Amino acid sequence: MSYEKDMMDKLGRGESTEDRLDIPILKYMWDASPLSFLAKESYHEFFKKITFLNSFSDNEVRLFTKFLHRREFMPNETIFKQGDSGYGFYFIFSGAVNIYANYNTQSDELGDLVIRLEKRQYFGEMGLLEEFNRRSATIVAAESTILLGIFKPDLDRMLETQPVLGAKFLRETALIMANRMGQLTREIVGLKKKVRELEQRV
Amino acid sequence: MNRNQKIKLYLFMFLFMATIVFAILFPRLTLPFGFSYILYLMCKPFTLKLTTGTRKQRFIYFILMMVGIGFLSLPLIATLYNVDTDFSKLSNQLPEVQKMLSDKFFAFKVQIFEKYGFRLNLDPVTFIMEKLESQGAIFLSQFPDFVSTIFEWLLLVPLFLYFLFMESQRFSRRFLEAIPNSIFEKSYVLFSQFNTKFGEYIIAKFIEATILGSLVTLGLLLIGFPYPFILGFVAGVTNILPYIGPFLGLIPAVLVALMSKDPNVSMISMLVIYSLANLIDMLLVFPLLVSKIVNLHPIVVVVSIIIGSQLGGIVGMIVIIPFIAFFKLLFKEIYKDLSVNL
Repeated sequence: MSYEKDMMDKLGRGESTEDRLDIPILKYMWDASPLSFLAKESYHEFFKKITFLNSFSDNEVRLFTKFLHRREFMPNETIFKQGDSGYGFYFIFSGAVNIYANYNTQSDELGDLVIRLEKRQYFGEMGLLEEFNRRSATIVAAESTILLGIFKPDLDRMLETQPVLGAKFLRETALIMANRMGQLTREIVGLKKKVRELEQRV
Repeated sequence: MNRNQKIKLYLFMFLFMATIVFAILFPRLTLPFGFSYILYLMCKPFTLKLTTGTRKQRFIYFILMMVGIGFLSLPLIATLYNVDTDFSKLSNQLPEVQKMLSDKFFAFKVQIFEKYGFRLNLDPVTFIMEKLESQGAIFLSQFPDFVSTIFEWLLLVPLFLYFLFMESQRFSRRFLEAIPNSIFEKSYVLFSQFNTKFGEYIIAKFIEATILGSLVTLGLLLIGFPYPFILGFVAGVTNILPYIGPFLGLIPAVLVALMSKDPNVSMISMLVIYSLANLIDMLLVFPLLVSKIVNLHPIVVVVSIIIGSQLGGIVGMIVIIPFIAFFKLLFKEIYKDLSVNL
């Protein structure tokens, strides 16, 4: 479903293509060009390097970026806390975030650092899919960070206005969750094995 | 939260409150904008279908605006013309009505005197007529203002509507960017839910009013009752107000039945038609269309309507319901958060 293919299909059917210049598309193509001398990474390049969005065509990536919200965080600014209602899925466009577990609501202590996520990694996909999601960890910006977020209302709008893209995005998100589930299952199996070994030794 | 984040949050809160105060202080702008927003939400599902995948949006919106202005202006001009002729008819009939009422009340006073020997020194008919005349004079003195307001709305509503169609997405994006990070997720989701709920409520009420108005018109046509179209229209419009609306819609029909000298005009069959139409509405249309969207206790609805009428008149009475439904949603979210964090 590339832009070029759309245009060729239209010409093939004998339909007229737009004869006016579409500035946003031109700007996007300019930014997306591999020969572009811009130092800043474009959204297009950013998403093309994210493995789970590999199946998206150029035009789909362009459409997908329209549903995203750019949020800038200062170092040590909390993105969300464990137990908060979750509604969105975030991609790290620049910077890094720290993930903490066992947040203490009484003393407002962040808890134990679990992992650090860097550029092009993502988090919070459960918040997008679950109806009543509670965040399972606290996430804090480790440095100046820019996140690109997609939220439940955006997904609804995407499914309404770009159903093919919406379905594709949902499939890819489901795949991420399936991978994480597989990873968790493997970890549980490994832990059970260790428990059994310990029990036998005792 | 550090100092900068706190300043950003307070600044946003201040701007938000200032917008609300501005909206309350300048109803001449707020009310047409609110009306345009209602129209925008009503048209949005259809315009979304028409404009998806095309870049001729500006042209489509312009054509829609023209059609909309035509639809709004024609009945308005017709109504203004009819109001004028009806006023002159009414003012011609008023002395006759006053004489009839005075005679009836005089006969009643004589009856009381003959039966109980008690002389009534009241003259309510003259009192009511004097009041009516003074109210009429006030209305006539305010009539030019009323007409100028209508023309103001005719100019402002299409303008706002065009702005909402063309710029609302960009405007809401700018607004969302200004929301501080700490409250962004929740505010965005609540803002979207409110928009969806409000839009669904307005469309559902519009469909409900059309169905009830058509049922009343059809019923009145069948029994040969006068003015079926106007009475059906009034019943449909007043039905937008829950609980109170059906009674308000009935008043003009009762007045027509009382004033009519035609023996074919039956009060009972008219009441049966209104009751049947409202029963169909209550048992079928409302549960299927509206109740799922609003889901409020009847007492809350009635109290909300009274508050709405005090705050913003008829428009206030209509829009207060989805606002209350939104506040219910908001409090539920806050309560849910508190119960987790405590």
